[in-house]
Amino acid sequence: MSASTRIQSTSSGSRIARLLHKDSSLGPILLSPGFLFLAVMMAYPFFYAVFLSFTDKQIGAPASFTGLENYAKLLSTNLFSKTVVNSLVYTLCALALKFCGGLALGAMLNRPFIGQRVAKALMLLPWIMPTVFSTMIWSWIYHPSFSIVNEVLVNKLGLLSQPLPFLREESWAMGSLIFVNVWRGVPFFGITFLAAIQGVSTEIIEASRIDGANPWQTFWRITFPMILPVVIIVSLISTIGTLADFDLPFLLTRGGPNNATTLFSLTAFTLSLSSGAIGLGAAVTMTMFPVLVILVIASLVSLRRRQQV
Amino acid sequence: MNLTSLARKTFTAVPFYLALAGVAFILLFPFYWGFISSLKYEVEIYDFTGNFLWAKNPSLNNYVTLFSHPRFFGWFWNSVSVSAITTIISVVISVMAGFAIARLRFRGAALAGTLVFITYLAPRTFLFIPLAQILKDWGLLGGLPALIVTYPTFLIPFCTWLLSGYFANVPVEPEECAMVDGASRLSAIIRITLPMSLPGIITAAIFSFTASWNELLYSITFVNGDQNKMLTNGIIGAFSGGDFFSWGPLMAAATISSLPVAILYFFFTDRFVSGITSGATKG
Repeated sequence: MSASTRIQSTSSGSRIARLLHKDSSLGPILLSPGFLFLAVMMAYPFFYAVFLSFTDKQIGAPASFTGLENYAKLLSTNLFSKTVVNSLVYTLCALALKFCGGLALGAMLNRPFIGQRVAKALMLLPWIMPTVFSTMIWSWIYHPSFSIVNEVLVNKLGLLSQPLPFLREESWAMGSLIFVNVWRGVPFFGITFLAAIQGVSTEIIEASRIDGANPWQTFWRITFPMILPVVIIVSLISTIGTLADFDLPFLLTRGGPNNATTLFSLTAFTLSLSSGAIGLGAAVTMTMFPVLVILVIASLVSLRRRQQV
Repeated sequence: MNLTSLARKTFTAVPFYLALAGVAFILLFPFYWGFISSLKYEVEIYDFTGNFLWAKNPSLNNYVTLFSHPRFFGWFWNSVSVSAITTIISVVISVMAGFAIARLRFRGAALAGTLVFITYLAPRTFLFIPLAQILKDWGLLGGLPALIVTYPTFLIPFCTWLLSGYFANVPVEPEECAMVDGASRLSAIIRITLPMSLPGIITAAIFSFTASWNELLYSITFVNGDQNKMLTNGIIGAFSGGDFFSWGPLMAAATISSLPVAILYFFFTDRFVSGITSGATKG
């Protein structure tokens, strides 16, 4: 390269200039701040968490090694088995609903209509708005005595004789929590699916229409297979976020009633901060790890496949 | 257009607009209800007689209550400064790393890209317990610096991922031309490629700022004392607790906080969409 020979000849002996010029040295130099930071603040904490999960560490007390005792304790407690079941139900239901809702929303927004730009921005609102405050609105909508939904269904329309126990009964509380998660996540799915749908070449769509396929067939046989890589990645990323969700259960139900809505992160939070059992709390987060590894590997594989397309 | 085709158009358009209206209603009604509730006086909030979907005596009373909380501007300042500092740190580090991964050929570049993606997938709730212990060991637990050193753990992977995708699509030729004209590599990058990448960098900055602003778990676990709270956490603590909820001011806060993002994203939706198809955040 002519530029590189010029640098070398003009700045004789300037090793720094040469280091900042060549890909092989500039690359690691530019990467190092980020990777040093992530090594100190992510890799080190990860091994620290593994270590803590094998100790009886309490707040304000030194840790001593107890082997697998925390894990054995978790397996025997009702709280942990509830956490696992809750997390599975929450993640799978929310994902399925967001996936279907997102596809429908994406297909819907793909059709031109009046006010599309405004509609797209407004429909994103549940996703971009601070979760803390959107969840406060939902707490108000789910209010035990002054819920707008119950007011309309029971007193105004007379469709129900009893108010719905949104956050009071165990299965209702889980359903209400899932609903808010879906409400918040559907715009994200819809908008990313929309972008993928719009990336499919119109010629292929047109060709299949000329061949006599109806819009439904065109969507499932042509569009859907072509957007599948994006669909899979978005779903996997969302699965991880949903499985590890803290904000919604913490703000809406505090894990109640009777631990019916506590998830991994909230259980870890409750054990380590409220009860001071840091080792036990760390063990709870570590139990997420195998699932996370599987999801991360799946994401990497589908990402690679997407880059090859 | 003849009458039958017009009839057919209407026939398919009506269910479409009905479905659209239904979706819009579910997605947006909570904001409307929050907004209307924020305009009501305390008594009226719990009163469903008459036209409860509208405020009988609309008032900004709840907003006044919110803003006149003695700590409000302190918390606001905490949120602004923590979000701004973490955004600047994260974006600068991520521009460097993202550029290296996307544009430079060196041993380990592909591996670095994969590692960034893995750290980006790691949920931020996964490591909060050891992070709290580390902050305590370093004497940072309790104050705002605890947030400044931990927020980049989720911002850097995300921004690097987003920016490496962006840099990969910025043409290389202008940078090479500048070097042929005698500019050093670094000044060619800074003067040519970075300005060309400004839209991507701004997108990363907006994401970082809003992600810091909205973060909850770290801000309630790593920080002590009322004066150190971030705005969201401060408002929640001041106007709710146990079974006590002061709905008026809470709904006012919800309304106020959704306005700036709604306006921002109205102008940014398209860039935002192309940004999140290469990366994504909350589920």
